[in-house]
Amino acid sequence: MTDLTDLTLHQAAASLRAGEVSSRELTEACLDRLAAVDPRLRSFLSVTADLARTAAEAADRQLAAWRRGTTTAGQSPSPLLGVPLAIKDVLCLRGTVTTAGSRILEGFVAPYSATAVERLLVAGAVILGKTNCDEFAMGSSTENSGYDVTHNPWDLARVPGGSSGGSAAAVAARLTFGALGSDTGGSIRQPAAYCGLAGLKTSYGRVSRYGLIAYGSSLDSIGPLARSVADLAALFSATAGHDPRDATSLPAPVPPVDLAAADVTGLRVGVPKEYFVAGIQPEVEAAVRAAVVRLAELGAQVVEISLPHTEYALPVYYLIAPAEASANLARFDGVRYGPGITAAEAGHNGGTSAAPLWARYEATRGTGFGPEVKRRIMLGTYALSAGYYDAYYGQAQKVRTLIRRDFDLAFQQVDVIACPVAPTTAFRIGEKTDDPLAMYLEDIFTLPASLAGICGLSVPCGFDAQGLPIGVQLLGPALGEDRLLRVGHAYEQATDWHTRRPPL
Amino acid sequence: MSAIAYEPVVGLEIHIQLNTQSKVFCACPADSWGAPPNTHICPVCTGQPGALPVLNRAVVEKAVLLAAAVHCQEIQARSFFDRKNYFYPDLPKGYQITQYDQPIGRRGWFEVPLPDGQTRRLTIHKMHMEEDAGKTKNDPARGARLIDMNRCGVPLIEMVTAPGLRSAGEAAQFLIRLRQLLRWLDVSDANMERAHLRCDANVSIRAAGTTGLNPKTEIKNVNSIEAVRDAIETELGRQAREVSAGRRVEAWTLEWDEDSQTLHKMRSKETEADYRYFREPDLLPVEVADAWREAILQRLPELPLERRARFIEAYRLPAYDATILTEERSLSDYFEAASAAFGGEPKIIANWVQNEILRLTKEQNSPAGGLAFTAAHLAELVGLVEDKVITRQTAVGLISQVAESGRAPRALVEAQGLAQISSDDALRALAREVIAESPEQVQAYRAKPALLNWFVGQVMRKSKGKANAPLAEKILTDLLAE
Ligand SMILES: [Zn+2]
Repeated sequence: MTDLTDLTLHQAAASLRAGEVSSRELTEACLDRLAAVDPRLRSFLSVTADLARTAAEAADRQLAAWRRGTTTAGQSPSPLLGVPLAIKDVLCLRGTVTTAGSRILEGFVAPYSATAVERLLVAGAVILGKTNCDEFAMGSSTENSGYDVTHNPWDLARVPGGSSGGSAAAVAARLTFGALGSDTGGSIRQPAAYCGLAGLKTSYGRVSRYGLIAYGSSLDSIGPLARSVADLAALFSATAGHDPRDATSLPAPVPPVDLAAADVTGLRVGVPKEYFVAGIQPEVEAAVRAAVVRLAELGAQVVEISLPHTEYALPVYYLIAPAEASANLARFDGVRYGPGITAAEAGHNGGTSAAPLWARYEATRGTGFGPEVKRRIMLGTYALSAGYYDAYYGQAQKVRTLIRRDFDLAFQQVDVIACPVAPTTAFRIGEKTDDPLAMYLEDIFTLPASLAGICGLSVPCGFDAQGLPIGVQLLGPALGEDRLLRVGHAYEQATDWHTRRPPL
Repeated sequence: MSAIAYEPVVGLEIHIQLNTQSKVFCACPADSWGAPPNTHICPVCTGQPGALPVLNRAVVEKAVLLAAAVHCQEIQARSFFDRKNYFYPDLPKGYQITQYDQPIGRRGWFEVPLPDGQTRRLTIHKMHMEEDAGKTKNDPARGARLIDMNRCGVPLIEMVTAPGLRSAGEAAQFLIRLRQLLRWLDVSDANMERAHLRCDANVSIRAAGTTGLNPKTEIKNVNSIEAVRDAIETELGRQAREVSAGRRVEAWTLEWDEDSQTLHKMRSKETEADYRYFREPDLLPVEVADAWREAILQRLPELPLERRARFIEAYRLPAYDATILTEERSLSDYFEAASAAFGGEPKIIANWVQNEILRLTKEQNSPAGGLAFTAAHLAELVGLVEDKVITRQTAVGLISQVAESGRAPRALVEAQGLAQISSDDALRALAREVIAESPEQVQAYRAKPALLNWFVGQVMRKSKGKANAPLAEKILTDLLAE
């Protein structure tokens, strides 16, 4: 018998319903593997073992009742009932420590649960713990975490990508059957590609942001990472849909994703020429082009398209996201939560009544935030300042509209867009930490979709010479998750890249 | 001494606390008066990580109603919320959600009747919706700064007027009229002691007859109408002395100290913060579509000054009466209802309302509409007096009985035999009794006819106030002449 942790989410759910395995057994298998492997991987920031065991036992009771046919509803339980999952530490889970990877929230116990997390709990999922990430989701390697550097299960000397690197590493290393991440500029799609996983960046507003510690509020979206597109579909269906607690959540219904109808015959696939540029790793380009060929062989019609404002996405993103972040992170002042540092601790000896307060702010924020977070707060503060607003933030908003229009026009021509997720495969830990700009370039293929608020899917499409996974990015229009998942599933059915497991 | 006359130039920025049930972006109760600190709070209004605001529609409805009442030429079909960034311990998110360049209402005006009979029309530049911050206070005993977040997220409207007021007294009149309007519309309880109405005043002076604007000072923290008047008066005097002495008025921000009745300089305007406003990405634009606006404006009542004019015109009331009766919407409604039910001369009802009903509302601290003694009761009671069934004195005594029992005045009169005694026989018998019992006064009356009133009083006393006084007087005159 294969190791329980090797099952996909769907296989695990099927075994649970068949009574071949209990949720408690699955949970213990995950916790055991976590204890054995994670000291090398460092993908979890906190493990909620007690909570998980309690949830597993409750799920087993529900499953038993369902098998006996004594449930009142009589319908099939949620595919997530009893399935162990992990959540990125930017999502609040009531009663547990939630830090967003930042020291400034060390020990902060969330007083409420995020809507997406709440929906997983309602579906009966078992939450194993909170996964590591770049501090406040600002980064592309998880090296910016205030706690730990997470390692890539395919090569421990390399980064798992970021910012949802902990979620990606944990799913790839079989510590959990799936995980939630967040994607502001590529933070689900890129780590999914680096770790050989399927990852879905949902359309802006598709999954409620309530309880997601904000980075760039107009860009943040929540989505799943898993070992198959079918698994993503289950996680997406459970978490998506309107939430009255998030004014920007879309009031559109979430129809069930029918993967049986996955067929790409006649599908128009756009290949944007701006995404195949100098600097892209040749093996990445080759694998992505091969994936497009595979889709064509399956019946899709390939069309070259142009997204002319692509090159502006990077500067636009690095104005808008930091500007929003500079306000979003103002609340971390040490007054209500987090380890606030007093004026005395900061070595301040009093004076005017206002000064100790400012000393406290400076001490708390100066020591609590890491360098990348400070860099973005300063960038954003500058972009919003009087005299600079029009030239920076105001201008960026205008260009963002042009980027959005690129996609609007493209989706009049094609059904999905296929392109690379990132220009390279996973890089070495420390390789880019001294060069923020090189790190920012990691996101050039994922930023445009974030700015446009559309949905994007990362699916494994090959490996480089060093055995590192490569992902292809499929982009769909806003609310087009259903279409993307069907195309991704069809591609997976025709390939076996997603079935390979890391050596760990 | 130079004889230059200065003209005051005063504009106001007023923060109005709305009387909605819940706060502007969460479900916490908006009114925390008397509540222990930090009891009306939740993840949203305390700025917990990940919490998001959701706009309370009732706030928009009250804002639209007020914008219409102050004749805003623009009630924006689409307005926006922005973030105003600054650090302070009573501001949990590190920014205030407010409306900056696209507020809900613009270009309005409001007319203020002045005591000299003239009317001042003041331009309202803009009014916008925003959230309130919390409160901090020092606790020297513990060496701590305490924060109460109950007030965080309480809905406010900020109204900015043009510098069109020409005296401290006009500013006070404006606030009195605004307070009346806010209560009339039921958008705010407008209780200044509870800080429902907070006023900043922009004050400058110029040579009379000129039209330019000089550097102004901003007076903060004035929280009663008297304080607004006193602070502006004080500052106008200071500016006049400065200019007369050949000095310039600096653009300072001043704070009014109620206890010492003095102004303190808080800061120079040059050091004003950069708030780095930008659109609030967590909220959608505020869309007030035609249908919604129409629905809201259905509830826009006749306004106080309009009603006052109508009372003078339609009921032929003196201006003084019309002013008193329209001070407050519930009282004016009461008057109209009673007047309609009575059907007779409106001035008679107006007198009763101004005397008895106004007294009751004060005694019971209740609006007229909330009294157990209803407008229908009043109409019936006044009808009994006018028909000479009961005396005025009996009627006044009946009011509390009606209120307590809930029974109609006529029913009580019948049940208790309170009807006025007007029969000649009954009154003559009473008068004879009084004369028989008072030989000394009868003696004195011959020299002093004014004593007649004393005899009437005795008859009233014997009848427990029910005697028809003019008739009794006539009978007594006859009998005493015998
Ligand atoms: Zn609240």
